[in-house]
Amino acid sequence: MLSIKNLHASVEGKEILKGINLEIKAGEVHAIMGPNGSGKSTLSQVLAGNEAFEVTEGEVTLNGENLLELETEERAREGIFLAFQYPVEIPGVSNLQFLRTAVNAMRTHRGEPEMNAAEFMKLAKEVSKQVDLDPAFLKRGVNEGFSGGEKKRNEILQALLLQPKLAILDETDSGLDIDALKVVSDGVNALRAEDRAILMVTHYQRLLNHIVPDYVHVLAGGRIIKSGGRELALELEERGYGWLGIKEDEAAAAN
Amino acid sequence: MKPAPTLSSAFLQPAGNALPGPLLRLREQRGTALVDMPLPTRKTENWKYSSKHLKLSDELATNLPAGSATTSAAEDGYRVVFRNGVIDPQASRLPQVDGLTVQRFADLSDDEASALAERLDNTLDANATQMARLNTARFEDGLLITLKPDAVLAEPLFVVHEVTATASGSAFPRIYVDAGRHSQLTLVEEYLSSGDQPVMVDTVTEFMVADGAQVTSIRLTAEDQNVQHIGATGVRQQRSSRFESHCVGFGGPLRRHDLQLRLEGEGAECKLNGVVVTQDKQHYDNHTCIDHIAANCNSEETYRNIAADESHAVFNGRIHIHQDAQKSNADMNNKNLLLSTGAEIDTKPELEIYADDVKCAHGATIGQLDEQSLFYLVSRGISRREANVLLTMAFINELVTQIPVEQVRDSANERLNRFFDDTFEEA
Repeated sequence: MLSIKNLHASVEGKEILKGINLEIKAGEVHAIMGPNGSGKSTLSQVLAGNEAFEVTEGEVTLNGENLLELETEERAREGIFLAFQYPVEIPGVSNLQFLRTAVNAMRTHRGEPEMNAAEFMKLAKEVSKQVDLDPAFLKRGVNEGFSGGEKKRNEILQALLLQPKLAILDETDSGLDIDALKVVSDGVNALRAEDRAILMVTHYQRLLNHIVPDYVHVLAGGRIIKSGGRELALELEERGYGWLGIKEDEAAAAN
Repeated sequence: MKPAPTLSSAFLQPAGNALPGPLLRLREQRGTALVDMPLPTRKTENWKYSSKHLKLSDELATNLPAGSATTSAAEDGYRVVFRNGVIDPQASRLPQVDGLTVQRFADLSDDEASALAERLDNTLDANATQMARLNTARFEDGLLITLKPDAVLAEPLFVVHEVTATASGSAFPRIYVDAGRHSQLTLVEEYLSSGDQPVMVDTVTEFMVADGAQVTSIRLTAEDQNVQHIGATGVRQQRSSRFESHCVGFGGPLRRHDLQLRLEGEGAECKLNGVVVTQDKQHYDNHTCIDHIAANCNSEETYRNIAADESHAVFNGRIHIHQDAQKSNADMNNKNLLLSTGAEIDTKPELEIYADDVKCAHGATIGQLDEQSLFYLVSRGISRREANVLLTMAFINELVTQIPVEQVRDSANERLNRFFDDTFEEA
């Protein structure tokens, strides 16, 4: 489904990704782990199409189509979804209006009729319950005044509504207490499907206890330095990044 | 040194004698006082950014001919229609409410006209609003709305100002509202035009708001691009009265609104909301001035400007807290959004405080649409155009939704959508 070959990307002239290679097939769940500053968030932002990052080399295809040639909104319509590490607060745009506009943009793209306000309200309320988010949050501004956990649940709510082909979760576990982590993980697990892939980016292994990955990759200094199965994450948890010759402080300082 | 340009004498020839004697005499007096009136220049502080847009050529000096009367009034809602500054009684539909009278200046008795002549212009600072004085020298007709104590008009009264610009000239509509103790009124003014010849609308609306009265003024300025609009609104508020103003303005070659309030009775409150949208090479200038004269008064002011293309918006908000106005509470906020690198917005809060126990806050910001927010929206499949519209609307939505008359909200939204169509390209 997703194929990344020798991807290099930089921000403000500074190279962050230095040759990423990764293949993800439909139905698979991959986890990318790595210390702070290793390029994890950059990879997710580049895949989603953030123009602040410049791709200098390499290629990325989604189901054979060149992803890098697509605008951000086109990537979303082709099925890329990024759950943000830091979801943006947008006062003045109601969450409900935002979600409906997004869902209808997708439906229009697929040639389906738009959902009217009443239909959408019903759907949004159901999905809100699924992620344990009070439907009152639908009427507030997008993420406006939401706690960290509420913001993350709102991200998963969007994923469930938009039904992407590839869901990228950027540090979705950060800032969550154990109960919220459970709710969010249940939401993500509900997304697991044969025709869908999930890419989780995380610093810690604890999320992987709840969302069990098929593959784990370690990212350091802008490259994937080791790949393995679930057990790799457990090993990292036990032995720390130092075990792979990565000094966390240096990795952070280098970027 | 070159002498400052003065108002052409052509502008001092009043038209139409259908007014009662006292008003004709007032008009003549004001005309005499305006002989040799210096026109604002770049050096005139309160016209600094706008003087170059004020075009008072002789072809604008004549009053526009009264427009043709329409056959029927609107079927619902109360309305008064000014055509080229003259009321069209056939197009108007007046409320029949105890304690409320709505009169044309022309229909006033000599006594009534004489009482009115003494009060006209009393809400406005003569030095700051000379163009309002020009209106007094030139109005052909006017609307006097009188609410007796406790009179309540539950539905809004619409005043539609239409100019028909089939020839050059000017219109000078005039409104005077006398809201008695504990009366209530919502007045909607809509400024519209047709035709394409250069014209000027010089308009003045005054409100006397007595003890405990509650008045809401809604103003939608949306004439075409051949119309210079210069407006002044003057308000005097007595004890425990409340005045709300909702202004929505779309740009033109020159749009100017002076809004002046005097909080003269203890416990008076006012709330002023303003939204301005400009595009192309349009120019819009809002000057507001709130005088806190009595103690314990509250004022709350929120203005938002959005400027696209090479347009220019100006906000000048003055708050003057007089020595005896202890416990005043004044809050002024002006936020501005630039949608292109060629647009310009100038904002100036002016606070003058002579009392020592007051709460006075002001804030002004100028910015662009937030890149992070845009990325977030488009990353959900929303088109760039739609994302721009959502974020721009978010900037003013709070003010638009506060407009208490649905018809005006709809009309504002419809014009905003046209602005979005012009400003944000389809992907």
